[in-house]
Amino acid sequence: MKQFLASFLAVMVLALSAPMTALAQSGPLRIEITEGVVEPLPYAVPNFVAESAGAQELAQQIARVVAEDLTGTGLFREVPREAHISQITSFGSPVQFADWKAINAQALITGAVSQEGGRVVVKFRVWDVFAGTELGQGMQFAGTPEGWRRMAHKVADQVYSRITGESGYFDSRVVFVSESGPKDQRSKRLAVMDYDGANLQYLTGGNALVLAPRFSDDGQRVLYTSYETGLPRVHVLEVGTVQSRILQGQDGVMSFAPRFAPNGQTVVYSLTQGSNTDIWAMDIAGGGTRQLTSAPSIETAPSYSPDGSQIVFESDRSGTQQLYVMSANGGEARRISFGQGRYSTPVWSPRGDMIAFTKQNAGRFHIGVMRTDGSEERLLTASFLDEGPTWAPNGRVIMFARETQGAQGSSSLYTVDISGRNLKRVRTPEGASDPSWGPLQ
Amino acid sequence: MHTGHYISGGAHGLLIVWALFGGMFRSDPPQLEIADVSVISEAEFAAMMRPQVAPPPVEEPEALPQPEIEDAAPEPPVPETQPEPRPEPAEPEAAAPDPVPDPVLPTPEPEISDVAPQPPAPEPVPDVEAPDIALRPIPRPAPRVAPEAVPEPEPDAEVAPEVQETVERSETPDVTDAEEQQATSPEAATTEIVTEAEDPARAPTASMRPQVRPNRPAPEATAAAPEAATPAPEEPAPQAPAPTEDATASAIAGALEEALSGSPSGTVDGPPLTEAETDGFRIAVQDCWVVDVGSQAANVTVTVGFDMDRSGQVVGASLRMLSSEGGTGSAAETAFQAARRAILRCQGDGYNLPPEKFDQWKRVEMTFNPESMRIR
Repeated sequence: MKQFLASFLAVMVLALSAPMTALAQSGPLRIEITEGVVEPLPYAVPNFVAESAGAQELAQQIARVVAEDLTGTGLFREVPREAHISQITSFGSPVQFADWKAINAQALITGAVSQEGGRVVVKFRVWDVFAGTELGQGMQFAGTPEGWRRMAHKVADQVYSRITGESGYFDSRVVFVSESGPKDQRSKRLAVMDYDGANLQYLTGGNALVLAPRFSDDGQRVLYTSYETGLPRVHVLEVGTVQSRILQGQDGVMSFAPRFAPNGQTVVYSLTQGSNTDIWAMDIAGGGTRQLTSAPSIETAPSYSPDGSQIVFESDRSGTQQLYVMSANGGEARRISFGQGRYSTPVWSPRGDMIAFTKQNAGRFHIGVMRTDGSEERLLTASFLDEGPTWAPNGRVIMFARETQGAQGSSSLYTVDISGRNLKRVRTPEGASDPSWGPLQ
Repeated sequence: MHTGHYISGGAHGLLIVWALFGGMFRSDPPQLEIADVSVISEAEFAAMMRPQVAPPPVEEPEALPQPEIEDAAPEPPVPETQPEPRPEPAEPEAAAPDPVPDPVLPTPEPEISDVAPQPPAPEPVPDVEAPDIALRPIPRPAPRVAPEAVPEPEPDAEVAPEVQETVERSETPDVTDAEEQQATSPEAATTEIVTEAEDPARAPTASMRPQVRPNRPAPEATAAAPEAATPAPEEPAPQAPAPTEDATASAIAGALEEALSGSPSGTVDGPPLTEAETDGFRIAVQDCWVVDVGSQAANVTVTVGFDMDRSGQVVGASLRMLSSEGGTGSAAETAFQAARRAILRCQGDGYNLPPEKFDQWKRVEMTFNPESMRIR
């Protein structure tokens, strides 16, 4: 009876006050989305505005390099300029978002370049077209006209960072071994270049065989192995002055496969005494050394984790080349690779979450990645000979050397995204191998 | 009683008959062996039996004339160009730090002849000559990876979110007057990322096997299986008010509150969104949700809340991140931005939702979970 009365009262109130009101809603509509698409994000880069008379060409060049950087990642797709509806004529004028939305550009990069005397100023803004807002704040870089490519790379790094939330890798350099001549009479020189192959400079002559250059984490020094004295010896080279010296020397002992610790003070390398090869660490300043492995097998290719606490290396202690991880102070190592084939040249990702490696299996070479515990192994490439992976400073891209088959085969550098997409060749004037990607400058 | 006698008598009778007529007592003499005999004289016999006398010893025979042998062995005909050992193509030159460094530095200069025979060119890898038994369909090399594979569009078709046919103005006036439009088709898409190492078109993964002869008709259970496996889709039952006292009381209280508050929503009470309507909304958004599978943001599940107006458009200012899980602040922010772009970009002139159920979708909480995307 009580219930009936309450209901009757309610109906009466509803009928009197709001006949068409809805009943109470239970809550918001909840939807879960588990499938998306993997495709490049469309963006537009109109020519940067030239704010001084002589900056017209520079403005165009900088905008082009920014577009090449972004498109080259495979994560972005430039909307062609012919499709642009509105033009950017002034850096400060408001953006007509509808025009850019109509051509489906999700991000818009506007910029301006001014040049006065020997000073170039580049400023830019990034816009989220569909939200109609600016991504981050406007920024400007100043430099010399010769350094325009670096400024363009810095702009691209900022754009990349604002859209992806991760740091870029465009303003970085790669040290590698430049090769010329046929395979059996090859001249090898150390060289350094921008990540995209521009601004190539040679660091050594071609009179001595050089191998495996490795950048320090600050990008100021390069470790490499040279046969200058007859036996392989680890050298350290100051990039600024191009002066090199033997890091340590001991008669009858070969040292190779060097790599800096993240602190830049310690070098880890392989040392062969008799028929045994072990991993050693050396303090650069003091010269003190300590042995990290003591197995009768061959241990080599050490690489530090980004926090400097662990080392991944390759060893044939189980009969075939496999990857192992141990403490940076040495001690017992645990095996992390268990797949078929031989694993070598492991390199720890700058993010710390993955390890890149070379794998040889069934007559083919692969570049692959795996978690630091060996799980989720994924092969990214396959060819006659792929080897020597090195990480981009943001841990997103891997560069490696690929050699073609035959006596006339040559080596060149390639990059691939860690998802396995966007495999592409790096432009180098000659053959190239053994890349080592330096830090973001 | 005399069965044994009868049998014995019969058997003896048979034996006697066989002995009489079977040839046992035939009188034919057996065939004799015949040998040829020749008559010789006594002198001949004596000569035969006389011991043999060895012939007188002969002097050591002279050595057979041997062909003269020159000291120097004849050389095989020298080819004009000495073939050099073929370089081993399988052993690549180790450029990276090698596990076993060779202590060689003075590398001998190899002689290279101008006319050295070239090693045979490696045979090109046949594309897909051999029969290939693939365990999974070969994905097309489309740049876009989406939940559903979409074939390559027609060459003349423009890539657009909505598929439409070509409409051209015809010579003869038609009854239905349609505007001219260009054919469009969705962008080509594959369903997974295929790395170079996984490229399945290199070589056959297994040899072709002869087909097995069907020996037994298919079980009849398959006919009944779909019925059992996929129950008939049922419309979600409208939310019937629970017949409990509490539910009734709360519903009445809510109705009273809304009625007394005087907010004229202007909509009629309607059923909740059907599954098809919800799916349409979800698919519309997921087609625009771009996941960067290699990024840290791909580890983050983010829930976004937003309001919508009656035309199905999102109230931009209402977009907010309600929660995130699985990543740092920066990665979560990136995941939120990607989700926000997806919601805004695919709305067009408004999402296709029934206006009469506006109250059901005026507030939305959308969770973007990229877990299944990461594995690809």
